[in-house]
Amino acid sequence: MRLGTRPLAAALVALVVTGCASVTAAPAGPFKAGGGQEVTLGRMWSDISPIMVSRGKKVRVLSIDGPVLNALYVGSGLVPGDNLIRSYVKEHPTPLVRAGMSTSERLEFMSDSIAAMGYQRVDLNHLRAAKLGAAPGVRFDLDAATSEGLEIKGTGVVAEVSGKLYLMLYLAPAEHYFQASLPEVESILASARISG
Amino acid sequence: MRTLILAAVASLVLCAPAQAQRLAGVRPDVASDEGGLWAVSDKTEGSARQSAELDRDPALNAYVRDVACKVARDHCADIRVYVMDRPFFNATMAPNGYTEVWSGTLLRAADEAQLAFVLGHEVSHFDRNHSLLSWRRKKSTSNAMMVLSAGVAVVGVAAASSATTYDGASSILDATRSLIDVVYLTGMASLFAYGRENESEADRLGLDRAAHAGYAPSAGTELWRAQMGETQASDFKRVRTSGTRTNIFASHPLDAERIAALQENLKSLPNTGETGRARHRAAIRPHLATWLRDDLRRRDFGQTLHLIGRLAADGEDLGVLNFYRGEAHRQRRGEGDLTSARDAYLAAAAYPDAPVAVWRELGDLRRKASDAAGAKAAYETYLAKASTAEDAWIVQDSLNSLTSGK
Repeated sequence: MRLGTRPLAAALVALVVTGCASVTAAPAGPFKAGGGQEVTLGRMWSDISPIMVSRGKKVRVLSIDGPVLNALYVGSGLVPGDNLIRSYVKEHPTPLVRAGMSTSERLEFMSDSIAAMGYQRVDLNHLRAAKLGAAPGVRFDLDAATSEGLEIKGTGVVAEVSGKLYLMLYLAPAEHYFQASLPEVESILASARISG
Repeated sequence: MRTLILAAVASLVLCAPAQAQRLAGVRPDVASDEGGLWAVSDKTEGSARQSAELDRDPALNAYVRDVACKVARDHCADIRVYVMDRPFFNATMAPNGYTEVWSGTLLRAADEAQLAFVLGHEVSHFDRNHSLLSWRRKKSTSNAMMVLSAGVAVVGVAAASSATTYDGASSILDATRSLIDVVYLTGMASLFAYGRENESEADRLGLDRAAHAGYAPSAGTELWRAQMGETQASDFKRVRTSGTRTNIFASHPLDAERIAALQENLKSLPNTGETGRARHRAAIRPHLATWLRDDLRRRDFGQTLHLIGRLAADGEDLGVLNFYRGEAHRQRRGEGDLTSARDAYLAAAAYPDAPVAVWRELGDLRRKASDAAGAKAAYETYLAKASTAEDAWIVQDSLNSLTSGK
């Protein structure tokens, strides 16, 4: 394969940015995710957003044991042109929020964004109606794998409020970690309030 | 100084090890440099076996392995083929015989003969020990560059120290730095040139292998022409122009150069042989939908549409292909794309192999176009065909909202 210099440059920039950034504590209690979305954390999390350089600009990422072992993505008020995962190379774009997305397209946005994170064989399943705050949305579970073969499980919710996309996505290895934090994640998902 | 540089350049060009052909069934001594490369390849192969990208369909793997064996001949027992679900045109063969064929290659090979050409190319790299020779070349070239750079530096410092003015010494040191850069760039350029020579040789030998296995020798040129067409169909200018530019640091020859060289080689081969088109299509058919969905995730919809156009040329699998044509247009959302998407979904719906999602997408598009009656009909068809689908309730919800006028 022919590799360009632009991905390398992007990686170097990311490395420099990461070097300046720091993880902060997200203590139990209200957590403002921006964009008018607030959730309640039942325990101490870490806000690892600054080191998750590929996240979209309206996405916060929380973790307990590090992003490989559990990550909760909270996206708030995404408008057309925003993304969950950022693209660093024009020729390798990542999924964008589009105007007037159907429910199927919002789910497609989620699964394609998860694939853009590098996960393989992403399968959204157990689709069901749910609320995100007071807004009607779609809850889903998911199965995927890392390219090295580690099985990943996840769950999430996506909803549109006044033309803006709000989402939460929890990803963790199927072995131990997913189940270990699932009750806390369920509680956080149920606590969401959107005032945007 | 000039003599030294010329000697450096000459040594970089002349220090290539002699070509060596691999003996079938022979594993190198573990203490040798080749044994070390094999050990690394063994480790990589172990990772590939665990990879989530490994396609474990036994029928597909048996098909690709069978074609590989036909072109590998004596080396059949030396190679192990793994199909990886990666939506790019690529195949590799490691020094230990571990071979990856990516799903993007299987999707883009129009027939078995084109796949045989690709595998023949990889077997030729393996048979001619290109990995080992490249590694030795890199080692000897980097050693030569280091020695020559040191020599240039010593001569330059000596000359600068004997200069009578500060400006004179400074100029000599600037010239020395420039000459060291020349040595480095010449060395790197010679390495890349060597890589391009290996690629050209593997093309020529791969063509021979495929032809001697009974495949149509024109397959190689047809495959590269299709690749050029796909490059030109890209949504991105940078990709479209990538196939027309080369430089001394390119790892592969230009596609146009490869086609010209293959056409020259065709003159010495009989213009006969089979394409195996039906066998190839039968082997990849169960994977078409999955691989096209993977290809869409590259988000170069122009290239995906070009690929679908090639796959549809023989009039097969038109339900699946037209559905994914519609998906490419829907996701691109450029000028006229939503109309093209609707037309493609409608075309797909006329074939028995159309995925049921055709009617859901058609319903969504018609709804966006304020065609409530059309949307209702499409949603109802979807629900009739897929009443137990995971998302049936979502479609029912859309249908209900149409009925209630919300």
